[in-house]
Amino acid sequence: MIAEKTFLRIAFIVALGTTVYSCVDPDEREETPADEWFAGGSQTIFNRGNGAFSSSFPNLNANRIKVHSTGDAAFGSTFVSAPAPVNPGLGPIFNNVSCTSCHINDGRGKPPLNGEQNSSLLIRLSVTGTTEHGGPKPVPGFGNQLQPRSIFGVAAEASFKIAYTEVTGNFADGTSYSLQSPAYSIENPYQPLPADLMISPRVAPPVFGLGLLEAIDESEIIARADENDSDGDSISGKPNYVWDEIANKKVIGRFGWKANNPNILQQSAGAYNEDMGITNFIFQKESSYGQVQFSTQEVYDVSDSLLQSVSFYIRTLAVPARRNADDVVVLNGKKIFVAAKCSSCHIPKSHTATNVAFPEISDQTIFPYTDLLLHDMGEDLSDHRPDFEASGKEWRTAPLWGIGLTKVVNGHNNFLHDGRARSLMEAVLWHGGEAEASRQYVKNLSGADRDALIKFLESL
Amino acid sequence: MNIKYLLSASIVALALSGCNDDDDKVATIDTSLNTQILADFSNDVASATYTELQAKAVLLNTQVATLKASKTDANLAACQQTWKDARLVWEQTEAHLFGPVATEDIDPRIDTWPVNFTDLDEQLAGSHPFDESYIDGLDDALKGFHPIEYLIFGQGGTKKAADITARQMEYLEALSLNLKKLTTELGDNWSASNASGNYISVVSNAGAGSAEYKTQLAAFEELVNAMAGICDEVANGKLAEPYEAQNPSLEESPFAANSIIDFTNNIKGVQNVYLGKYKTDGKGLEDLVRAHNLSLDTEIKTKLNAAINSLNNITTPFGQAITDRSPKVQNAMDAINDLKSVLEEDLLVFVAQHSN
Repeated sequence: MIAEKTFLRIAFIVALGTTVYSCVDPDEREETPADEWFAGGSQTIFNRGNGAFSSSFPNLNANRIKVHSTGDAAFGSTFVSAPAPVNPGLGPIFNNVSCTSCHINDGRGKPPLNGEQNSSLLIRLSVTGTTEHGGPKPVPGFGNQLQPRSIFGVAAEASFKIAYTEVTGNFADGTSYSLQSPAYSIENPYQPLPADLMISPRVAPPVFGLGLLEAIDESEIIARADENDSDGDSISGKPNYVWDEIANKKVIGRFGWKANNPNILQQSAGAYNEDMGITNFIFQKESSYGQVQFSTQEVYDVSDSLLQSVSFYIRTLAVPARRNADDVVVLNGKKIFVAAKCSSCHIPKSHTATNVAFPEISDQTIFPYTDLLLHDMGEDLSDHRPDFEASGKEWRTAPLWGIGLTKVVNGHNNFLHDGRARSLMEAVLWHGGEAEASRQYVKNLSGADRDALIKFLESL
Repeated sequence: MNIKYLLSASIVALALSGCNDDDDKVATIDTSLNTQILADFSNDVASATYTELQAKAVLLNTQVATLKASKTDANLAACQQTWKDARLVWEQTEAHLFGPVATEDIDPRIDTWPVNFTDLDEQLAGSHPFDESYIDGLDDALKGFHPIEYLIFGQGGTKKAADITARQMEYLEALSLNLKKLTTELGDNWSASNASGNYISVVSNAGAGSAEYKTQLAAFEELVNAMAGICDEVANGKLAEPYEAQNPSLEESPFAANSIIDFTNNIKGVQNVYLGKYKTDGKGLEDLVRAHNLSLDTEIKTKLNAAINSLNNITTPFGQAITDRSPKVQNAMDAINDLKSVLEEDLLVFVAQHSN
């Protein structure tokens, strides 16, 4: 199955000029600059439907479209047990059978419902200590990640269960809300788990716009860091430094819920290896290597060129344009977003570096609404599992672009690293730690201002 | 995939420099017609096709039970025919592959290719009882249309009723029950009587409270993008990938030799959406286009027919046409890409001008 593709045409320039970008009061235009419609700079597409995250950059040339399409097909390829004429080598233990089975429509995963099989949530594992490169220490017999599925005749590592407890609270105006607090349990492990096991559940994040985030100059990210809070605003922010498997050194982390991956190629290669059991030139050992599940029969590499084309596909997925950015309620919501200091970490604007080798991502002004830094998000969100420089409480500021399209693309409104929030407001209310003052600010808002804040987020 | 990129900075600058809401809109937009088109698409096309799909899956399940009770070639032929009938309507629904079929992950659970034959053989050789819940827990590549196809048609389409082992029959019965369950879920998702929310109201209420489609234009864009999207997939995926790789094993539906029929029904699905018609002929995009631009209507219909005819011209089985390097395959890809272009360029501009 190939992901359905939709593409943007000039129609949307017309549409943009006529329906979206209507006359704005000059004062308000300052609040929402015209270019903020173009969330992805010149790599913005005007699709607000089911395929909003699945369009290629609008200005790729024919050769590059071909590479993108090859990667697209590979992203949708279902792997099966060997031997097989097409896509052999699944597993023997795995999380899912294709990239797209977790990143449905190139979008956001959600936690499985009771008894649901096809999970787009995985569980990272480690034990006390670190690897020689400072990363999480793998669990003997289980590795870095729980593989709860397996091919026929092979033992899966374990299964997991999520139990939710409702925790209620009130806004200052008396309106009540309820958050679901998850508890994770690992069941039926194929061999005993160690006592010092640490787990970190994570849903599949959307994969569009990542080429632009990768292109932000490292100095721009580091300039935003304020690890010791020297400006005294209670918001620090620090980069993660993680192991680059190709460069063979520590570099700044950008991707993953804890900025625990340095680049798209390594992220993709890791996903092939850990999620599907497909080896590649970066991760050459099967995820099951050294375990009883390992079988030479299932050792199949994805070719270097195919891995590169998948990486290219992800790098060249465009960003959907904002909707209703000039609506008065949305503009008010943006003011509240800034006043609540959400924008101190969800920094609206970034720039991509000059890159003569990749002109499509060069010198763009983009609006991802992230600083790509780690922040302490409080005890309630902690997974108690360090990941390179990130502590259990620290998470990377999630990009907010496209977040208002989650419902039409993925059919749900589950947010945060493990999908526990069932709406944008619940996601806001889970923010603690450095965001505690922002949460209190939002809790003190009137109902109308809360709605405006959400309307603004939905316009992203 | 193949994009003609008309987006350029200069055009963007031009569009943004204007500050008049209605420069490119027609003077009066026929909101009531647009409302009717979205309602008729939802009821007469989407809901109607999913209801039909569900009915075929129910029938297949019954016929498999009959085959199990009486293993005759006539009973097997009935299953094969119903599989093809179900496949016909399913492929037509792929022209509107958005909403629950995508977001509830139903598509991969009923239509994954390739089949995991190694595990399938192991399953059949094993002893775990096959029931619906066991099948439901299996990977996508072990359930849905294609494992059923394999079991009832066999390699080369040569299956005889007497060839079906007890174990295969048990698996087949559970597969057909699972297909019935999933297509029923899909039908319920598009049923107006589904009180817990349904996609008829999501699309019909575009611009009137729909969380997914804040404007009617957003819903029209979804329809047009879905139509263009299936053209792209047929031309540049389903046809092009096996053709360019010269690899017949990439072909879907090989056992029933149904591939070209599948592709043709994909394009007929585009026609359904354009006309607002599956069985009942409702208002469709056609009616909006005809009211303002007869030549565009003619162009779309001409290209729809050309695309369907180009597929009908491939008379050898697809797996063979690939290796023969038949120019007919290239012709079909070209004709379908032509259709895609008029949809995503002209029709998309048109709906932007004629809806709010």
